[in-house]
This record gives sequence, structure tokens and C-alpha cells, in this order.
Amino acid sequence: MDQHSTLLPSSDAAATQPAGMGRRGLFRLGGLGAVAAVLAACGQSEAGELGTLGNGPGTPELPAGTVDNGALLRTSASIETSIANAYQRMMDDGLFGGSTAAYPDLGDPMDLVMAFLDHHRMAADTYNELAVGAGDTAWTCGNQRLDEQYIDIVLSRITDGVPAAENAAAIPASDDPLRDAVNLVYVLESLSASSAQALVDQVTEPAMRAASMKVGVRSGRDAAALALRANPGGYLPVSGDAAEIPAPVAVPSRFGSVGANTFLGGAGDENGVRLRLAFETPSLNSMVYSFTEYGDCAPVTDSTTPTT
Amino acid sequence: MEIEVTQAGPAAASPRIGRRHVLGAGVGGAALSLLPFLAGRAQASAGDTTTTAPPLPPTDADVALLGQAQQIELTFVDLFETAIAAADWSDDEAAVMVEFREAHKEYAAALSALLGRHAPNTPSESLMGSLVAGFSGAKDGILSAAYDAESGAVAAHDEILGQLQGTNGAVLIASIQMAEARHCTALAALSGATDLAQLLVDDEADALQVNG
Repeated sequence: MDQHSTLLPSSDAAATQPAGMGRRGLFRLGGLGAVAAVLAACGQSEAGELGTLGNGPGTPELPAGTVDNGALLRTSASIETSIANAYQRMMDDGLFGGSTAAYPDLGDPMDLVMAFLDHHRMAADTYNELAVGAGDTAWTCGNQRLDEQYIDIVLSRITDGVPAAENAAAIPASDDPLRDAVNLVYVLESLSASSAQALVDQVTEPAMRAASMKVGVRSGRDAAALALRANPGGYLPVSGDAAEIPAPVAVPSRFGSVGANTFLGGAGDENGVRLRLAFETPSLNSMVYSFTEYGDCAPVTDSTTPTT
Repeated sequence: MEIEVTQAGPAAASPRIGRRHVLGAGVGGAALSLLPFLAGRAQASAGDTTTTAPPLPPTDADVALLGQAQQIELTFVDLFETAIAAADWSDDEAAVMVEFREAHKEYAAALSALLGRHAPNTPSESLMGSLVAGFSGAKDGILSAAYDAESGAVAAHDEILGQLQGTNGAVLIASIQMAEARHCTALAALSGATDLAQLLVDDEADALQVNG
């Protein structure tokens, strides 16, 4: 009894404890829990790892890119060279041979492509001469971004298709390579034209603007001539054209456009979706800055190309 | 009017802060917070470009050049109007000729919008007089005359572009020139030309001259 009687008060105290826990008590318990969680987390992060001493290498920084007349003109030269290289590659791959049901009146487009290729080589020289005249250096390589992110992707899709991946079936090579080749040439001519037009707003000298537009005017006419060879009677856009791949037209808009030029082609994927790429005029991520390196491109030793 | 609150006790010992002080402190804080941004802008503008930005609006000399361009475009509206009425066009041909007339009308309107009260808003009588005969004959002759005239307009815009200082006018002229360049190829094809040199206009016509 005594024992019982001595235990009773402590039992009562235990029983009455919860009733005595106020808001402060809850806060204390919460705080203790948080501290315990932090300690546990710290313990886990340290398990099995050794601390490091000293400083690691800093975050690498790109040089500041200066966008001046020289950089703009060298970039334009790179675009023209990329286009000329693309045509050469397409000819080497035999993409302009055969016939296409999409453009039954096309005939042999090689005379057009050869003329276009010469034009773009000369256009690159023109831009480089202007760049050198502006106190910069010439750029005789293509444009890395245009090559790798656009032209290579389209040509690969046309000639090889896309291999199967873990979550996607293989896409075969193009179901109509000549159609796609003609459409790519039309897009690249339009890109050259719109890039030249866009340059007018960017360079500071009127003579540079006029020279750029001479290139653009010729490219625009190239695009128009190709459109009319592939699509006779295609002078103007047809409203409500429901064709899966719209045919090119000679005068696509009332004013010259600096908007994107979209390529649509290649074989469809497992859902029937063809490759769609919007070729845009040069922007900051495609500029040939003063620090841009040639990479794998060797400078062309052409006597007509100005060098410094 | 300044609104101030006075308090008794310990709070009254602190200096009174009025609305002006609060606003002043806010403006000061905003200025301090903008300093890094403004400093960055100044640094960027010093390091990102080495060329002087050209003026945007047309200069006085530009206004005269753009006025000539507008007179060319208004003359073309009348010339295509004459051509459309002069021959018996097929539906496809008529669609092209009407579209080109409307295009020139829009070019003139765009130049008018840029020039405002300085816009001539009249065609060139001298240009009309020299070109109208070609736009009045047989269909083949009209297409040939239109091809030459559009090429002359491209050359004229090239000359103008080489003199314009303001970028607003230069951008507009470039967009007009690009479209008119394509008009040449379309007109050549419409007349049945297959010669590449003609389609691509290897020989640009002499620039059109506006003399009143």
C-alpha cells in the first residue's frame, strides 16, 4: 500500500502532464524535432565522402562578343558559304537527279543550282571585302550553327533518315529526295535574301546596306526562278492551300520578309510527322565573333578572297 | 500637405518620420537598387559595340530621296492600271497584274506614312510620260515593259539605299526592293521566258529617274 501510495502521486503527475503542455511545450517539441532532422541529414551527407581542401577551378567565361559591322558582315559571309557548301554537298550526293511527282515539270535543275552556287560564293566574297574594308578580318568558313543545327539535320534526314531510339521507331530516308532537295534550296535562297534584308537594319553604313541588298535581290530572284521552275504558275500564294508540303511560290509576300523560312520534308516518323525546321536570319547565337574559331574548317586559299 | 503623427512616451523621443521622409527614403533605395543595373548597362554599351548607331528617322536629305521613291511607286500604280485595261489577260495573268498594282499602292502608302506631310503623294509626270507607251500596247510588249520598269525601280532603290542615313527609311526601301526584284522574275516567266539570265535579271536596267 505504501509502495502503491508512493507511486500514485508520480502516476498522477504523468497523467496530468499532457494536460499541462501548452503552446510553448509544442514549440519546444517541434524545435527539437527540426534539430534532430538537420543533424540526421548532416550525418548522411558526410557518410562515405571525404572533404576537399583548396579551391576548384572557377566557372569559365566566354569573351564578350562585340557585334559591330565587321562581325555582322563576317556572319553574312559565313551564311553564304554554308549555303554554297550545302549545294555542293547535295550535288555530290546526287540529290538533284531523277524526277519527283511533286514537281513533274521541274526537269533538270542543275543549271539553276550551279548558277545559285556561283552567286553565293561571290556573295561571300562581297561580304568579306566589306568586312575587311570595315577593319575586320575575312571569314571563309561556313556558319557553324547553320551547318550543324539546320543543314546537316535536313540532309541527314533526307539521305539517311533517323535510326531507332529507345522510345522511337526508326525513320526511313526521304520518300522523295528530289522534292526535299528543291524545297531546301528554296528555303536557303529565301534565307539568304531575308538575311541580307535584315542586315540593312543592323550595319551603320549606307554603302554596306546597298551592297547587302544587291546580294539579297539576287537571292530573292533565285528563289523566285526555282519556284516557277518547280511550280509553273506559282506566282502568288494560294489562299487555303491544303497541300501537306506547300509548293514554293515566286512572290510569297507583298513586302520582302525577314521572317523565318520553314523547311518541311523528309519521310514521316511513326506518327507520319515530317521534319519541320524554321531557318531564321542570324542572331546572337550564330554570329561570327572576333573570338570565334575555325574549328575543323580550313581557310580557303583563294586569291579572290581577301585576307588579312 | 504633410501628415505627421506625434506620440507620447518613448516613441516620442525618436525623430518624426513624415511622408516626405518615407518617400525620400524609398526613392533613395530605388536609386541604390538600380545602380548595379545602370552600371551594367553602361559597361555593356561601352564594350558591346564599336560603331555609332545610325539615326532612325529620315534626315532632311532622306525625305527628298524617299519622296522620289514614293513618286516611283505611285507612277507604277497608274502604269499597271493602264496595262490591266489595255490587254485581254487570262485569269492567272490578271491576278498577277492586279496583285502587282496593289503592291505598288501599298508601297506608296507605307512611304506616305513614313514621310507624313512631306510625302509628295503624286506620281511622277516625267516617269509616266516615258513609260506609259510600253504599258499600253500588246500583252507581250506590256510584260516586257513592266519587266524593264521593275528592274529600273530595283536599281533606283539601290541608289537610294546607298544614300539614306536613317534606318527607318532604309528598312522600308529594302523590303520594297526585295519584292520588286521578285516581280521581275515573275514577269519574265509570265511572258514565257526560259533564259536563266533573263529570269535572274543578270543585266539590271538603268535606275529610274524622277524629274518632277
